[in-house]
Amino acid sequence: MGQITLSDIQRAYGNVKVLHDINLDIADGEFVVLVGPSGCGKSTLLRLLSGLDKPTAGRIEIDGKDVTQVSAADRGLAMVFQSYALYPHMSVRQNLAFGLENIQMPKAEIAERITEAARMLEITDYLDRRPGQLSGGQKQRVAIGRAVVRNPTAFLLDEPLSNLDAELRISTRAEISALHDRLKTTMIYVTHDQVEAMTLADRIVVMRAGRIEQVGRPLDLYNTPANLFVAGFIGAPRMNLLPVKIAEAGPQSVRVEGAGGLSIMVAADGSALQPGTDATLGIRPHDIRTGTGGDGSFTATVDLMEALGPETVAHATTDDGQKILAVLNGQDTTKAGDGISFAFDAGRTHLFDAEGQRLPPPRT
Amino acid sequence: MATRSISSRIGAVLAAPVIWLARLLNLPLKWWQGMTGTGGMAAFFLAPNMAIFGIFVLLPLVINFAYSMTSGQALFLSDRSYVGGEQYARLMDCGNYLDPTTCREDLFWIALRNTALFVVVQVSMMTVVAMITALILNREIRGRGFWRAVFFFPVLLSPVVVGLIWRWILQREGLLNFILYNVGLEPHVWLTDRFYSFVATVGVSVWAHMGFYTLILLAGLQAIPRDLYEAAEMDGTRAGRVFWRITLPLLMPNLLVVIVLALIRAVQIFDEAYVLTGGGPGTSTLYLTQYIYEVGFASLLRNPGLAAAASIIMGLILVVLTLIQLGLGRRNEKAGERK
Repeated sequence: MGQITLSDIQRAYGNVKVLHDINLDIADGEFVVLVGPSGCGKSTLLRLLSGLDKPTAGRIEIDGKDVTQVSAADRGLAMVFQSYALYPHMSVRQNLAFGLENIQMPKAEIAERITEAARMLEITDYLDRRPGQLSGGQKQRVAIGRAVVRNPTAFLLDEPLSNLDAELRISTRAEISALHDRLKTTMIYVTHDQVEAMTLADRIVVMRAGRIEQVGRPLDLYNTPANLFVAGFIGAPRMNLLPVKIAEAGPQSVRVEGAGGLSIMVAADGSALQPGTDATLGIRPHDIRTGTGGDGSFTATVDLMEALGPETVAHATTDDGQKILAVLNGQDTTKAGDGISFAFDAGRTHLFDAEGQRLPPPRT
Repeated sequence: MATRSISSRIGAVLAAPVIWLARLLNLPLKWWQGMTGTGGMAAFFLAPNMAIFGIFVLLPLVINFAYSMTSGQALFLSDRSYVGGEQYARLMDCGNYLDPTTCREDLFWIALRNTALFVVVQVSMMTVVAMITALILNREIRGRGFWRAVFFFPVLLSPVVVGLIWRWILQREGLLNFILYNVGLEPHVWLTDRFYSFVATVGVSVWAHMGFYTLILLAGLQAIPRDLYEAAEMDGTRAGRVFWRITLPLLMPNLLVVIVLALIRAVQIFDEAYVLTGGGPGTSTLYLTQYIYEVGFASLLRNPGLAAAASIIMGLILVVLTLIQLGLGRRNEKAGERK
């Protein structure tokens, strides 16, 4: 079992509150990724979960048992540190055995567990080497192995890939995902990289300034971000967020107008909105195409065209100075300085009110 | 802007003599480089340091060795008679090396035995006390900066001052006996008791130098990544096991430096002990350096040749200890490269 419940968790350092009333339920076997910019409190939350730090207020439950004041060692969790935290003077084998020796596990069982973990993580050949003799990727596997041999209730992973190069990060990411599929153990993973979050998570928890902004499945967050922060944070390249004015607002649809002749009717409940108020229209770069044939269109001037082969990334500016990024299919020959018309479908847009909250869906 | 302009003017004024000197040296240096090449320039810049080293280290060493080959009380080498290795033979002339009374120079062997005992006890005590202090000062204790300063303070004192302070505390009518008397305990004559005077020299030298070694160990402790302790905590490691299996092995390079430096320094023990006990009672705290000093300068029948020979032997002991330090240092470096 590995069901975890966080209720009204707060953490303050002196007068500085870094976590505000965090509530989260994590199901057994779930892969949950805590994502957010630096300083959002995601690592602090992981440390509270691990028992290395204690909350100022709130309650942490593991499998229904209150562990808020229980020591790190007695929570049955295993942690993979960003810096690997391998004991440099011990061999890989000794690193893996260290935690098991602490609980006086019989030597034969320790050896069996090490052999199994080493086989699973393909580190059998390095068992007698010291961490200093391993590459970054190998060290990361050993760090994961040290967690695996403990057979924990849940794995806590604190930015485990951040010290690896781009290529290795992709392959290790896939290995972690495969490991989760095999072990079916709860994993809570902290990262600031939204691509890692999207590719690994069953559910993503987006955090900002000590608060949870949105919790959901990766594609739910991508398709229906709850607010401007999540809209801007999830998805690469970043969503275009265009300032617009409400022209008409009703319970079924809202019409907005913006720079470059933009005018579009979006399906949303705008009954709380007044015409003339500010709003933000979000369009993902991949949902923009050239031309005028969409539900909405606007004109802009091209700043830069990046030809990637199968697609072209267009950097442009509207007549009121708004920067636009569009990922266009195929190869486009438009040059910097040329005018360009962009079109998009209303169904692929996201409308946020003046407070940055997503408008509710149209009333049925 | 105004501040910058003033500071740049001050800088220009301060730099002026340096620039003047550089211009003055320019011509002879150019000539020297033309004559000798780049290697000659290196020799030019090293020459002052080499001269100081030569005059104040190498030359006294050679003269000392020369003195050890002579006999008599005359001060000038030219007035002394050459006796070859006789002084060394005299020092080494022993019926049984474990029994100083069978030796011709029994005081040398007593001093050597005392020094050996002092080194073993003092270095062990120093290492343990410095380690415990460093471990405590590494914790998040209230007023940590203040306590670090307190423990380091004795290092700044002159050894003679240290000796005088402790003599004032430990003498017959000293502070310690005053306190003992006032709390109803029996005062003791600490510095005229063979055992306690030895303990006093050990304790005082530990007190005086501990801050330095604590600092080395503290630096080592702070270099151990916090993550390792957190990983150990997650693994449910008991405090004792954390110390023996994580802290101690990772602190070993610093610990070796501390042990070897403390060893070398302990062999050279003189000032504090001399001021505190004068080598007594009897010969119970007579250490090697004091023996050399007394034979060479302080006794009525002074024998500079014998003192020089004893100091050469002591120098050889220090060379051995230094070589051990270098060897261990190299081994650590190699281990570090493997990491």
